[in-house]
Amino acid sequence: MRKLVTALLVLLLLQLSQTTFAQERVINGIVLSEDNTPVVGASVLIKGKTSGTQTQTDGKFTITASPGDILIVSAVGFTNREIKVGNSSTISTTLQRTEGQLGEVVVTALGIKKQQRSLGYSVTQLNANELMKNKNTNIINSLAGKVPGVNITQYSGSPGAGASITLRGGTSTSEGRQNQPLFVVDGIIYDNSTTVTGNTGTDGLSRSNTTYSDRVMDINPEDIESLSVLKGAAAAALYGSRAADGVVLITTKQGQEGRTIVNFNSKISSSWADKLPQVQTEFGPGSYSSNGVLNTDGVYNSWGPKIPADSTIYDNIGNFFRHGAIYDNNVNVSGGSKNGSFFLSGSNFKQKGIVPGTDYDKTTFRFNGDQKYGGLTLNANVAYSVANTDRTLTTAGLYGSGVGSMQALYGWPTTYNIKNYINPDGSQNRIYAGTLALEDDIDNPYWIINEDNLTSKTNRFTGGINGNYKITNWWDITGRVGYDQYTTNDYTYIAPGSALAPLYQNGRLSKDMVDYTYITTTVMTNFHKSFGNFDTHLLLGTTSEDFNTVNQNLWGYTFSTPGTISFNNIENTNKFFTDATTRRRLVGAYGEVGVSYKDLVYLTATGRNDWSSTLPIANRSYFYPSVSGSFIFSQLLHPSKILTYGKLRASWARVGKDANPYATNTYENPPISIGSYIGVGNQYYSGNPILIPEIQSSWEVGGAFRFLNDRIGLDYTYYHNETKNQIGQPRLAQSGGFIFSTLNSGSVINNGMEIALTGKVVSQKDFSWNAMLNFSYNRGRLGAFIPGVSYFYPTDAQFGTIKAASIPNGGYFAGMTGQSYLRAVDANGKTIANGAYQIDTKTGLYKINPAVLVVGNREPGYIGGFENTLRYKAFTLSFLLDIRIGGDVFNGTESALVSNGLSKKTLLNDRQSVTLNGVSSQTGSDTTVTYNANQSYNIGGTTYSGTNLIQQYWSNYAANSYNFITSVNWLKLRSLSLTYDFSGILKNQKVIKGLSATVVGTNLFTWTNYKGMDPEVSAAGGTGGSGSTGIDYLGVPAVASFTFGVNVKF
Amino acid sequence: MKKTKYIILGCVLVMSLTSCKKWLDVNTDPDNPNNQSVLIQNRVPWIQHFYQYTAGVTNYRTACQAGVYYSNSGTQNTFTTTWQCSSSNSTTPYQTWFVEVSSNIVDLYNSAQAKGAYQYMAISDVFSALGYMEMLDLYGEMPYTQAGTGNPSPAPDDGKTIYNGCMAKLNEAIGLFNKTQEVGAPALSSGDLWNGGDVSKWIKLCWGLKARYMLKLSKKADLFNADSILYCLSQGPQSNADNTVGPGFNNSTVTDYLEGDPVVTNGNFDYAAYGNAIRISQYYYNLLTNMNGSGVIDPRMSKIVPASMANVQLNSSGQVSSYTWNRSIGVDSYDSATRLVAGGPTSIQTATYATTNVSKTYTISDATALANFIAAQVAVGRSYTTTGNTVTIIYPAGSIYINSSNYIYAGDTVYVNMRSSAIATSGNPNQPQNDVNWYPSVDAYNAGVIGSTGSYQVRPISDQEILTYDEMCFIKAEVEMRKGDPADAYTAYIAGIQAHMDMMQAKLAEWQGAGFDKNAAGVTIPDMEPMNQTDINTYLTSSAVAQGPGTLTMSDIMLQKYIAMGCSIENYNDMRRFDFSAGDVGGFGVVYPGYQRGPLFTGQAQLTGSSPNDPRYWMRRWMLPPTYEINYNSIHTLALNPHAADPNIWSMPVWWDCATDAQYYGYLAK
Repeated sequence: MRKLVTALLVLLLLQLSQTTFAQERVINGIVLSEDNTPVVGASVLIKGKTSGTQTQTDGKFTITASPGDILIVSAVGFTNREIKVGNSSTISTTLQRTEGQLGEVVVTALGIKKQQRSLGYSVTQLNANELMKNKNTNIINSLAGKVPGVNITQYSGSPGAGASITLRGGTSTSEGRQNQPLFVVDGIIYDNSTTVTGNTGTDGLSRSNTTYSDRVMDINPEDIESLSVLKGAAAAALYGSRAADGVVLITTKQGQEGRTIVNFNSKISSSWADKLPQVQTEFGPGSYSSNGVLNTDGVYNSWGPKIPADSTIYDNIGNFFRHGAIYDNNVNVSGGSKNGSFFLSGSNFKQKGIVPGTDYDKTTFRFNGDQKYGGLTLNANVAYSVANTDRTLTTAGLYGSGVGSMQALYGWPTTYNIKNYINPDGSQNRIYAGTLALEDDIDNPYWIINEDNLTSKTNRFTGGINGNYKITNWWDITGRVGYDQYTTNDYTYIAPGSALAPLYQNGRLSKDMVDYTYITTTVMTNFHKSFGNFDTHLLLGTTSEDFNTVNQNLWGYTFSTPGTISFNNIENTNKFFTDATTRRRLVGAYGEVGVSYKDLVYLTATGRNDWSSTLPIANRSYFYPSVSGSFIFSQLLHPSKILTYGKLRASWARVGKDANPYATNTYENPPISIGSYIGVGNQYYSGNPILIPEIQSSWEVGGAFRFLNDRIGLDYTYYHNETKNQIGQPRLAQSGGFIFSTLNSGSVINNGMEIALTGKVVSQKDFSWNAMLNFSYNRGRLGAFIPGVSYFYPTDAQFGTIKAASIPNGGYFAGMTGQSYLRAVDANGKTIANGAYQIDTKTGLYKINPAVLVVGNREPGYIGGFENTLRYKAFTLSFLLDIRIGGDVFNGTESALVSNGLSKKTLLNDRQSVTLNGVSSQTGSDTTVTYNANQSYNIGGTTYSGTNLIQQYWSNYAANSYNFITSVNWLKLRSLSLTYDFSGILKNQKVIKGLSATVVGTNLFTWTNYKGMDPEVSAAGGTGGSGSTGIDYLGVPAVASFTFGVNVKF
Repeated sequence: MKKTKYIILGCVLVMSLTSCKKWLDVNTDPDNPNNQSVLIQNRVPWIQHFYQYTAGVTNYRTACQAGVYYSNSGTQNTFTTTWQCSSSNSTTPYQTWFVEVSSNIVDLYNSAQAKGAYQYMAISDVFSALGYMEMLDLYGEMPYTQAGTGNPSPAPDDGKTIYNGCMAKLNEAIGLFNKTQEVGAPALSSGDLWNGGDVSKWIKLCWGLKARYMLKLSKKADLFNADSILYCLSQGPQSNADNTVGPGFNNSTVTDYLEGDPVVTNGNFDYAAYGNAIRISQYYYNLLTNMNGSGVIDPRMSKIVPASMANVQLNSSGQVSSYTWNRSIGVDSYDSATRLVAGGPTSIQTATYATTNVSKTYTISDATALANFIAAQVAVGRSYTTTGNTVTIIYPAGSIYINSSNYIYAGDTVYVNMRSSAIATSGNPNQPQNDVNWYPSVDAYNAGVIGSTGSYQVRPISDQEILTYDEMCFIKAEVEMRKGDPADAYTAYIAGIQAHMDMMQAKLAEWQGAGFDKNAAGVTIPDMEPMNQTDINTYLTSSAVAQGPGTLTMSDIMLQKYIAMGCSIENYNDMRRFDFSAGDVGGFGVVYPGYQRGPLFTGQAQLTGSSPNDPRYWMRRWMLPPTYEINYNSIHTLALNPHAADPNIWSMPVWWDCATDAQYYGYLAK
């Protein structure tokens, strides 16, 4: 703080010492780019003299010059311009962008535009054109492959499914702790959570069981002008507690001065399942008991006899999915005058999913406007959206809540037509009615999609008002009030006659209402002055944030009168209600001071102090500093055509995170009533009254270089960050009294590298070809954890044999634990690496290792993208290749298919025999055993039929996680688009200003070594901690699509 | 002017920082009470219920080990049949105790202390003793002194420390119960589900528990003190009126937050009679039907062994018009186990209800098996048709039958499962609170056809016996025997049998009074009515019961105790003290004859002893939960007991099961 005050005083003194000369005049000017945006940091020099200045953040400058002087205005990325000083005391000039440059002015923290060259950290900015090349209604998905260091994972192929984004790996290990970046839209923090509502016990709802959106999907992508990705802590440091995972800054469109423009675009798209699980069609349902008797009563698994040649086989999986469709319409109107502008947009996005009955429908409106009154600029951004998702349960929930549509579909015997799901009387047509009790049965997927009803509806309103007042030409003050509010209503109806626990067989209803409100206020002031070759700036600000979420859940079961689906039709004793209010408040004060020398060296330091409501009072104030610098060394070299630009940069920052609300106390469960007594007891989460904030320290170094007259650009970054005192609620020893204990412990270390190469391969009048190749890797590891604990389980979720888990002190951040076969041991009882498998003499099968082992690392080895844009006259062809090398994926779907006898793998030897090679678990000697279907075997005193043993062999196979883990590489043609611009044809009329048509294909090809559906899908979207990426488990398949669109401008 | 601006700005900043302190105080959840604000009297019913829940799962699973029950669930079958003990058993008792109870007793103690509510502190002590002794009985070593306090990585204690700690808690509790509470402390009656605030019953419970726990030391020459136990007994329950039981209700469908089971029902029910998997073992069945080879059926048998309906005839409105009771037989795991050997250890099938006539065709390639199968049909008077090696049977509508075409399973209706229904589990809104029978389907309920009448101790509405007078009598009988006083032992032995029958009789009369013995179809269920006094008299005078001190053996005492305790961990504890059927303890001979490894035994890796006299021949403890304790707390766990994760940990005696500390610490050594 003292330093800031000193800097302020120095600034004031320097200003007072300025002198003026009578014959010269003060000239106020502004430097704009072609699109009328201010050019920040352009240097303005008087030809032949040493004096000069730089433009401010609003593009304005003040210089003292004499008439006849020639001003040279230059900025990196723009061509120079010379202006002769006349009699006017104001000058306005427009600079032409040098072709093909990456935007040199980027939006940085707090929405401040800065020159790329001044930054000591890496920021990637994408403009609207870039983002819309492969438009996705979820803006996150449009980033895949385009930004090094950014990892995107789609939750599923369902309409309305969200996506997760992490920048430079995750930093928090525990479930419930966010690893996704902060989203800021027009200066206002924009919630991007994935809220899982409902009651896992009664709705079957958890992240893995149905479709959840992430809330950034509420933004209409067409409204976005630019998107900046602040990856490192230094870039984001001014956001303090919220900055540890990086920041994505979104700036929406503004009207331009000039006449009113109407833009309309319309797209229609058809999509299909990219890849479906393959099932065997040779063996029918049934199973063999150990004495060889075939059992077909109530058996869904396909371990039965060969299907007779004349039987009908149903392609249940193939028939189930339909073609999806998207209808996407956008219109916007914008315009402005000298003192004001407006932008108004509306859109509707309608998506029909590949699973029948699943839909997503989003309507958005936005108004952005600004008005100037002298030095005061007022600016308002208001957006409203309504999003509806029709979804389905996909996999099993907890406690007798059915198996879900995908799990049932992928296990349905091929000899039964899955479409016959309903009886004439409206009850479920069950294959094994009378054999299986309803609670032991499996719901037909068509029953689930047609009879059950799951919807989610979100209405969202966001608004921000900004006021900026220029006190003098070097000092301005900005005030901002932001408001983000949404209401999500989730509805879950499970029809009577569904295969659930008996209590729920007469129908069930659940409603959830989430009301999210966020209010922020910001006041900040900027000082900007140049002194000779030194340019300085100072920023001081304060912010407050107030979150309030109310979540109400109503549920009940057994409808008294069939057909009336309402709580009014449920007895009072069967209705339940819970209420959860979450409050979180934060106050921050921050400052930034920067100084640069010529265009050569830039240094910036920031500091922020936060006071968070979520920490114990004694620990709730904490300070985060950062420093960064850049050095444009090419300025010192002789001008060269080989190296036209060279910059080195470095930064260091400390940021962190506060706790989740209420983590400082242990809370009670709802009361239970037994006899005439009321009982109340602790929840299974313990609170912690002595939490301290989580701290992340990070540094990065890098450089940007351009060669051959800017034809080739290279940007390189290496970073390291370590997050200590992790706040989390990991699963720990239950002898502590709780399942999850809140504590500060453990660290996460990330190292990584990002490289981006840009090239103008061809640059001619009629033909150009621009290419961008990026590559990055991140290595996330766990550091020390609490003493005495050797496994770290961030989440409860288990998929097949796999859990997301890691081991402290060097374990993979995105590890997974699973089961494996026990290998042979040496004379000392030590396991031999890659030794033969032990064959258990008691079971006759491979012996399962009782120890839980880390079986894989789900973090990709390298990710990258290769983007190309080719223009020939009015045609533009672009394609984006998405690259991944390494990183383990668990094919849980295949594992489930092996277990239920539908995997093609189980056709081995026509199911007539299986052979095990290994060593005896008793003697250690080499053993080979073969089980033939038509023989019996005595194992450990029990006689088993060969048919039974072959079946057991495969469940034993399914129990070994390694059988389903692949280190995955892929090359995806993420998008391919061809646009024709009709502007040339439209020259002779005045109504239509622009017209283009585009065809886009997405995910048309994937070259991969992965054998399952889609290696990109995550089993449970949006879990915190290391999440569930890399776990493919009975999800809705990913989709490929083909889109036709038209864009008209009036 | 500029300075003024800064001063004003500075003042605004300072003021806003001061007011923001209060503005930030929003970190207390407004919707849920926390462990500081909750009423102490509301803690106790919670603790009592969830202790019952922990005890229920423990009673059930240890009863599987002790030979009381047979289970075809893969996990418990490793206790009843294969003895290839599965660690999947380990989690639930541990989790329900530590997560649902342990932290609450710590919070109860602290908040009661702050209020001078001494009796509530005493209650906390009693539950600490009950719970941790149970954990010691199962797991041998686990965190005790550092447990239940939110310590994320508590270090474990050895068995001796835990045992002594539990005894000390009981002593403290007796002192605290006798103290007058401070003014303002809530009355014990406002929070006591078990004893309604009757302090004298609590004190008797403490003395009774002390006797129970001191009996555990029977292998220890230096610590076993018969007279001390007799003193404790003299201060403990003196009649059934002094029993402490946890009541079971069937009046709510509310389920618990962790396991999803009903919160008002008896904890034994939630595990032993919730699903289809559990049946009476032949071992228990034989004790109830042929004790001492007497051939006399215990009057309690038909109240404990369930029955289903058979030979059902439906009337024109589809309701049962005539039927017989099909009393279950026991499932044989330890003898020849013919049925299980033929079909596999978990192969016993659950019966189905035939809504319409059902035809089943069985293919039996083995000629002897075919002949036996036909003979079995003839024996029960069932009609059938044969073609070659296939037999077709029509089960008429209303039948309880096995829905499988595997002939080996077809006769499994003789093994009636112990399932009962509660309104929270039946899924049938029409089944009233006072009908706890199990019906295989809604159709069966509508017809009035009962699939199982359930079992006395494990119905939703059964009392969960925490400490009862009959157990005190049997402890006394055992101690007097050990002291060489068969006369006093005999008196106590007979008193124990009588007390147990009296206790049952009172409950059965209560059920009859509440209409539990009739279903909606008008069927009378004798299993829910009192025993016949003549049968009781006949039994008590038969050779099933020792007829005088001269013939009384330790086995007589322990087997009667075994019958009385039934679904209780105490049978497993007692059996360990007598080395099961090894017959090597004192001069008492084989105390549990017939309890042995069966033909389906596959537990060589778990139970590594090769002869019955080797302690490690038997199931002597449980492995700690592999994930929730061994994995999550592995370093501490293995530091105390390096063998905690070894497959044969299951046969390592716990501290009280060892004759000396040296023997115990020898086991714990690397």
